[in-house]
Amino acid sequence: MIYIIEDDKIMAECIAKACKDYETKIFSNAIEAMANIDQNMPGLIFLDILLSGPDGFTFLNELASYSDTAKIPVVIISSLNLKDQDLSEYGVVGKLNKDTMYPKEITAYAKRFADQSLHSSSH
Amino acid sequence: MESEVSSILIAAHELKAPMSLIRQLALSLDLENQDANSHVRSQIIDVSERAIKQVNDLTKIAHLEDGLFKMEPVSVRGVCDDVVAELKHLFRFNNRELNIRYTNQSRLVIANSDLLHSVVYNFCLNAMHYSDQETLSELTVQDHNGRVRVGVRDFGPALPMDVWREMKRGWIEKPVSIAMRPGSSGLGLYIASTFSRYMNAEVGAVRHRDGTSFFVELPISKQASLFG
Repeated sequence: MIYIIEDDKIMAECIAKACKDYETKIFSNAIEAMANIDQNMPGLIFLDILLSGPDGFTFLNELASYSDTAKIPVVIISSLNLKDQDLSEYGVVGKLNKDTMYPKEITAYAKRFADQSLHSSSH
Repeated sequence: MESEVSSILIAAHELKAPMSLIRQLALSLDLENQDANSHVRSQIIDVSERAIKQVNDLTKIAHLEDGLFKMEPVSVRGVCDDVVAELKHLFRFNNRELNIRYTNQSRLVIANSDLLHSVVYNFCLNAMHYSDQETLSELTVQDHNGRVRVGVRDFGPALPMDVWREMKRGWIEKPVSIAMRPGSSGLGLYIASTFSRYMNAEVGAVRHRDGTSFFVELPISKQASLFG
């Protein structure tokens, strides 16, 4: 399962299309995503930063504060320039810029991390 | 000069968002089958049209002083009906609803129909962006202290105090970044405010605990009272 937390529905759908071989769930805000996480732990999260309500950084903090969710890999998808920021302690495994990213980059992250979580959960 | 540059930057930031979307949609065409492609194509058209509209509005601001926009009796209901018809599909796509409610006496107002259309359009679009999913935004047209008030109520994050103060003053001087309402620089409100001022209309906002109402109050046309 891949979570896509993005408040622009069209952008969220574009990301979901790039992950078409995986089960995805779209959330338009961080609160909804956090509320669902216990029932359905994602193998990967694509996270926008500028969200309505709590922003992506608040979500990352929340995620990092629980032992189980701290392990979920997160890929930030934002138009903010975050390339020089080290967010690895929040589980951030990648950053994509909305203005320049390609669907194949999204697919590559899905393949790498969502597949990995499938394998680790089957053991 | 510094404030002008910051306004340009804020406006540029807001206009960049639809361009990124169009790029992603175009890239996603490769991932789709024929049927889905036509859906993507219509999304590309929708997003481009909205962006073009916003750029057009900015261009109009530059020409306001040239007196190109004639003030005349305008059917306020006609303009609101057009905006709702234009945006209804977009609201539905985003799991939101836009309704219209009239209690005014079908009066004509003194306005420029093109500018009034932009004001109402920007208020509605603003409501769509900042209302929660599956909520209703309502466009109301009512008589108010000898004027006609066109208001849009949304249910979402409350409007920040600084923007509310500017709206209360009746005039937004420049686009301001609205951190509580991301994805927006407040450009739409700035456009609505500038056009309203040109039309001698008053804009304002009411903060609710569960959202915001934006309104514009327009002078009633005397021609209307002849018919009324």
